[in-house]
Amino acid sequence: MLLIQTNAIADALNSSEWVFPITECFHIAAFAWSIGLIALVDFRLLGLGLKRETVSQVAKATAPWTLLGLAVVLLSGPVLFLSDPRMYLYNPSFRFKIGALAIAIIFNYTIHRKVALSESSSTAVRVLTGVVSLALWVSVVFGGLFIAFA
Amino acid sequence: MFILSLFQWLQSTDIMTFIRESGLTYPTIMSTHLACIAVFGGMIVITDLRLLGWAFQNRPIADIVNGLRWWKRLGFVIMVTMGFLLFGSKAAEYDPNPYFWTKMTFLALVGVHALIFRPSVYNHPEALDASPLIPTRAKVAGALSLILWTGVLCNGRLIGYYEPPSQKGRVVSTARN
Repeated sequence: MLLIQTNAIADALNSSEWVFPITECFHIAAFAWSIGLIALVDFRLLGLGLKRETVSQVAKATAPWTLLGLAVVLLSGPVLFLSDPRMYLYNPSFRFKIGALAIAIIFNYTIHRKVALSESSSTAVRVLTGVVSLALWVSVVFGGLFIAFA
Repeated sequence: MFILSLFQWLQSTDIMTFIRESGLTYPTIMSTHLACIAVFGGMIVITDLRLLGWAFQNRPIADIVNGLRWWKRLGFVIMVTMGFLLFGSKAAEYDPNPYFWTKMTFLALVGVHALIFRPSVYNHPEALDASPLIPTRAKVAGALSLILWTGVLCNGRLIGYYEPPSQKGRVVSTARN
């Protein structure tokens, strides 16, 4: 624990008052970007939004951009974490967020992807998938914000 | 001075006092603000990417712009409402905060962007589809929109980092999340 508390990234982050906020801006912009694009697929699964496109068209058009956003989120996130690992690890909101994030990512690239790319899923399956996906990602956002308040 | 007294009055109203003083209300409103940014932000992103010709190339621009128009408006109204409650509950602290004013400037520029590009781009996407190549004005609109919204978002986050001169060194509770 002491080892990761005193790491080079933490030194860099804590030596300048600007590194952390700028990294956080990247983190927030990228999660808004990627979650928003996933939400477009979710809305479409619910029969809302881009109704003139099929679900699989929306899923395919957003997929590469979603991946780009998630990559930036997953690169900037650990950098923020390493600035003060002990605080984060003992923070219940952080633990909740990481759990929700892991489930959300796995869900996105398994069930969500399969249902979205299939043109033959039933309405019930689509709606359920869209609702679960939105709920998971909103949980991640709430968990992330509550880190500062818990 | 007028603005500060207006902000002080706003902050002292019953609803704003309630938001400021109740433990969970403030972070819940902030989370809703942020969740709306995430959920509805994607609609802005995909519209801009389509205008730039970087996504949905084989689908009409009109589909994307028309399909999301009312959803974007709904998201904007929720975001602004939540944002106003967050601001109002601590309005006097926002007055000296340079990031707050930078964010408001970016938001005003978003309004200018709409005034300039709605007539030629967003209100007539069918005309863009009729053109063999995406017209430059549409690409400029998309690129500027991405830049302006990123400016709104980053300055919004930085509001939480500002420390008034008299409170330098004080740990700001919302500074790190």
